[in-house]
Amino acid sequence: MRHISEGVLRRLDDEPLAVPDRVADHVAHCERCRARRAEIAHDTERAAQLFSAPQLVPDVDVAWALLERELRSHGAGEPDRPRPPVRVRPRRAPLPRVSLRAGLAIGTVGAVIVGTAAAATFSNVFAPTHVAPVSVSRSDMRAIAALAGLSSSQQFGGFTTPNGSSTLRFGTLTWSSSGNVRPASSQAQAAAAAGFPVTLPAHLPPGVGAVQQFTVQPRVTASVTFDSTATGLASSSVTVDAGPAVIAEYGGTNGVNAPTLGIAAMPRPTARSAGATMDQIEAFLLRQPGLPPQLAEEIRLLGDPKTTLPVPVPPGASERSVQIAGRPGVLLTDSSNTASAVIWEDGAGMLRAVLGILDAHDVLNVAGQLG
Amino acid sequence: MALSVRHNERSERLDAHGGTRAFEPFFRANYRAVVRLAQGVVGDSQRAQDVAQEVFLAAYRRFPGDYEQAGGWVRVAAVHTGLNVLRGERRRDRRQLRVNAVTPLPTPEDTVIEREARADVRRVLGRLPRRSAAVLVMRHGGMSYVEIAEALGVKVGHVGTLLRRAETALRKEMDRETHF
Repeated sequence: MRHISEGVLRRLDDEPLAVPDRVADHVAHCERCRARRAEIAHDTERAAQLFSAPQLVPDVDVAWALLERELRSHGAGEPDRPRPPVRVRPRRAPLPRVSLRAGLAIGTVGAVIVGTAAAATFSNVFAPTHVAPVSVSRSDMRAIAALAGLSSSQQFGGFTTPNGSSTLRFGTLTWSSSGNVRPASSQAQAAAAAGFPVTLPAHLPPGVGAVQQFTVQPRVTASVTFDSTATGLASSSVTVDAGPAVIAEYGGTNGVNAPTLGIAAMPRPTARSAGATMDQIEAFLLRQPGLPPQLAEEIRLLGDPKTTLPVPVPPGASERSVQIAGRPGVLLTDSSNTASAVIWEDGAGMLRAVLGILDAHDVLNVAGQLG
Repeated sequence: MALSVRHNERSERLDAHGGTRAFEPFFRANYRAVVRLAQGVVGDSQRAQDVAQEVFLAAYRRFPGDYEQAGGWVRVAAVHTGLNVLRGERRRDRRQLRVNAVTPLPTPEDTVIEREARADVRRVLGRLPRRSAAVLVMRHGGMSYVEIAEALGVKVGHVGTLLRRAETALRKEMDRETHF
């Protein structure tokens, strides 16, 4: 029997009944695992000591009285729905240099492309109903690019031409779409081009003006076909369908032309594999030299790969799990809380993103209206 | 008929919500656990109670009239709100709700050195990756592996790995803290 993983050894001390008997048997006879278990127990004991503050005994009656007063004074009997913003606040400066559209590409198309490259653990059918964050450092990005043989523009900006192919280290990437990104003159025209209704918020945060532009990204199909260098996977392929996507870009008020808010929507991407099984593809990718172990671990921990879309968290951004109309989402904010983005799957088959030169509160308010 | 039943259910939910009557038992059943988790993050009992008040206010608005699913949510929210406080990610609410609490006298074990160590823990928690900090607080706040897996959206089999990694990082960071 192989040695026991540290995670299982850790659980053995906490919840021994949840661990199979063969684990305890192995540990009893394996000097190495016993030594590791002792080391783990030492760390656990130290952590337990550090978290063992004197036990607080809060007065629940007083706490309830205070909360009830708060609820009554704020009219909190209303359901949780976004309220029209009332705060007045000057625009912040300076605006980030990266364009809003580029930011949205990172949030949506980028999520799909990086998801394809890093987590081609897609099983026979991948149709995400949840989003989950994956921390991605610059060196991770370089490692992924080197691993797949992708150029940097393909990593984050989507594809530069409607159709094409590229040689990867272990196969070929091909993509095709019905054309380039194109502008639409109105909400109705954007909806007609995309083939789904375009939902916009009724109430906008302060400082956000009218829609400046609608953009439609046609549907893209991308395939990775593994070649003979991919041991055991030769001729297998993973195909991802993404889009069409619509992006609505808002300007500012008081003559500010810079984009302030972007709203993107696309049917959830799907992927299918032919030939190899999920386990074979996952095992192959995760044993590639150069894949940072931390990133590989994050991908493994995402949960069910058939239903979870990894959202890359750029360096310097912080992420938080949020609920948008009862659906799990990932909120990203920059360190100064001047730019925020939220991405979620709305439960009706659409992947949605809201990104703005706004704080997290305003972005969540807009997202809640689209829920 | 079905429509009428749904209408009545909705009316009852709204009535209960407006009157806070349905919320009180939920609050009483979960308040201590939430304060305990929040205290695991922020350390200070007064701030932990502020966090708990904020969390329950949010829960009241988020789960109008139906708190069946809210027990797990308030625990997770307590940890994340506490971490936000630690990291200064959010503007602190101006409300300062102070609740009288009975804190036992320090035990002989609660030495000055241990109090200092706990202050170090807050600094370290603020530096650790958010998920590592969360899993530490949840586990040492009494949550089971299954509850943690649900809260973090990971497979239960991975909780031990996350926990092990977090405790290793905690040890290294604490060693660094005490060497400077």
